[in-house]
Amino acid sequence: MTMDPLTYPVLTSFPYLLKGAGMTLLMAATAIVPSTILGFALAFLHIFGGSAIRTVILVYLFVVRGVPLLVLIFFMYYVLPYAGIDLTPFWGVVLVLTVYFSAFMSEVFRAGIESLPKAQWDAGKGLGMRRGLMLRTIILPQALLLSIPPYINICVGLVKGTSLASIVGLWELTQASREVLERTLAPVQILLGAAALYFIMCYTLARLGQYVERVNLRSR
Amino acid sequence: MDYRFILRFIPAILEGVQVTVALAVLTIAICTIWGLLVALAGDSRSLLLRSAARAYTQLIRNTPLLIQIYFIYFGLAMAGYGLSGFNSGLLALCVHNGAYFGEIYRGGLQSINVKQYEAGRALGMRSWTLYKNVILPQMYPRILPSLTNQAVISIKDTSLVAAISVTDIMKITQLWVEASAAAYEVFSVVMVVYLVLTSIAIVVGRFVERSIKFVE
Repeated sequence: MTMDPLTYPVLTSFPYLLKGAGMTLLMAATAIVPSTILGFALAFLHIFGGSAIRTVILVYLFVVRGVPLLVLIFFMYYVLPYAGIDLTPFWGVVLVLTVYFSAFMSEVFRAGIESLPKAQWDAGKGLGMRRGLMLRTIILPQALLLSIPPYINICVGLVKGTSLASIVGLWELTQASREVLERTLAPVQILLGAAALYFIMCYTLARLGQYVERVNLRSR
Repeated sequence: MDYRFILRFIPAILEGVQVTVALAVLTIAICTIWGLLVALAGDSRSLLLRSAARAYTQLIRNTPLLIQIYFIYFGLAMAGYGLSGFNSGLLALCVHNGAYFGEIYRGGLQSINVKQYEAGRALGMRSWTLYKNVILPQMYPRILPSLTNQAVISIKDTSLVAAISVTDIMKITQLWVEASAAAYEVFSVVMVVYLVLTSIAIVVGRFVERSIKFVE
């Protein structure tokens, strides 16, 4: 069978890249759940916790947001084994992604809750509602809807962030494309193939965010 | 903690700091201009420029920086225009962050009331004068916090050039950890170094914000 030498490496290695994309997706999906829960908890504690808790959270946010994700990944890879914590590479990366992206998510949720006018709280209080009921029925439904577009942006960042796992040798889309690239010596075609797969994942997510944003604008 | 080790490690890491700072400063400086051009092209009357700018922004924002770095590093070498690791890294960082700077500028330009443009045109201003004297001076104070934020991200992004063996902070960290096994010491120093660098960017950003507000 003859094939155009330009497209040959992509066509033959595409199933392999596709499997890598599956791993990327699995890793991202696994990390998004705990990041969201932790991000939400941090936002909540930041707003409603006492000043001691707030200080601890501020320090956490300062450190995590001021250091590159790659440093945290190397930290997990080189330091945690010394501390006696032995995670498989997959769960190690999921842990780091959770620590890193929960910090950004907590800021998004906090901004969503704090952006609501004080009148919303006052109205609830005026109706004699308790704080828990107010949060459940008035504050959170509005705040969450407002938070969704920036939250999805962070999820896109998380999907892209999984590519750094390849640097510590975890097999996913970027690692798969590097393997094929070194074997076929066709970097342009292979990397375009990998980029296309990332684009499909991230663009789909981003469009979802834009859709929610339009819904938000209409409901205002 | 072995303090003598830290004393030996600091001179080594400072060499990496020079590389990281050079990459970060160049990236931020170039993207401050490149991002504005991308935003202006995105609002241009020419369909070709407009679509090109939007396609660029979408493609860059929805693919990982690491893939872009590999693409430029290996792709250009394959095409016979091989750049050094530093230059490939710098190019990739500028291409990547330029798309994000462009989005910030686009938001800034859109936040300016249409009447400002109309008034400028009515006074017979050309585009250059209009932007230089009316639009940009109003836009910069509004977008400076976002620009500072993106500058911090740019600094952190420079760490990925370690993947193409540029000896920045990250690469030196990796080399020292693997050679010495003094993981706690190395990472304590490296985290402090990065926190200092990103904090400097935030402080400089605040300073510029305050001095620009004064003008307004």
